[in-house]
Amino acid sequence: MFDRDEDKKRILKVKVASPYVVYYDEPALSISGVNKTGPFDILPGHHNFITLLEPCELVIRTRVDEQKIRINGGLMHVRADSAAVFLDV
Amino acid sequence: MKRLTDIVSEQQSMQSVLGLTDVFEGLASMRISQIKNQVLSSQVFFEELWEIYSQVRVSPNFTYGRGVSKPEFDKELYIAITAEGGFSGDIDQKLIDWMLSSFDPSKQDLIIVGHHGALQVSQANVAFKRYFKMPLHDNNINVLPLVNQVKRYKSTTVFYQTYITLMVQDIKKIELKNAIEEASTSHQKSIKQLISDDYIFEPSVESVASHLENTMMQITLTQTILDSKLAQYASRFRAMRRANDKATDLSAELKREFSRTKRFIADERIKEVINGLSKAGPVT
Repeated sequence: MFDRDEDKKRILKVKVASPYVVYYDEPALSISGVNKTGPFDILPGHHNFITLLEPCELVIRTRVDEQKIRINGGLMHVRADSAAVFLDV
Repeated sequence: MKRLTDIVSEQQSMQSVLGLTDVFEGLASMRISQIKNQVLSSQVFFEELWEIYSQVRVSPNFTYGRGVSKPEFDKELYIAITAEGGFSGDIDQKLIDWMLSSFDPSKQDLIIVGHHGALQVSQANVAFKRYFKMPLHDNNINVLPLVNQVKRYKSTTVFYQTYITLMVQDIKKIELKNAIEEASTSHQKSIKQLISDDYIFEPSVESVASHLENTMMQITLTQTILDSKLAQYASRFRAMRRANDKATDLSAELKREFSRTKRFIADERIKEVINGLSKAGPVT
């Protein structure tokens, strides 16, 4: 279990959106997807990263549950504990 | 002089025209506000993508997402975005005339979006390579078939209608490559450095850049289609407003004519009665 300050550091800001719909815009513990290399997980503190996503099910884990979003592909940009997923692009 | 029943029937048809033009005017203004809201809601999304693309570009030259491969045709592609149906005023005709004034079939190929434009190009006896229907819906516009055509050509110029205000619309052309390069450069100037050298790219920076070039083409083409739709709705709104004003004037004129005719008939009857009375002689 983390203390409160440590806990805050472990949060990842996740936004999953298409041009006209925001599917998810909340803090999360991690986000998982699939790119050409295979499945991958993004956790807080991840290296700056840009990847093209393959059709897959994005899995967003929060403190309370796990959310799944089926996508046809897209682009993920990870930077400074925030992950932005651009769908329909 | 018209008969009263004819005037009444004309008045009724004029009321129908007034009602119809009111409905079309209302519909056009509703669609305009829908598209405006939609453009606003997608602005942040596209801004973020432009920022990424501006900094990921590996080459200063835009390659239409082809990478190093050559285009299939050594020609320029003209794309004209027009309305699907009528009721859009004369703006399509202006656009087609302007485009055809610089069109040379040996140097350019033509793709038309919208049935109205295709009809006008055919009437001008000009052949076009492909015709696409103007998308019915204003969101989730699939421009991939258009992008696939664009990639086959050396360069592309898009002719489209642009919305300035509800009462003013104009026609415009953009060279796709220049438009994207300019937008990208302006974003580069306006933002802080977002992407540094320590980034990891999957599968590679070239693939991401190439994918983003495709995306930027899709965004730019979608924006020209949305701008055209806005202008078409505004042009329709204007045409309906003019028709409505004319119908209102005609309706008022018919009302006056109805009163004049009614008065004339009454006067005629009075005259007949007076004449009849005078012929009958004084009452004894």
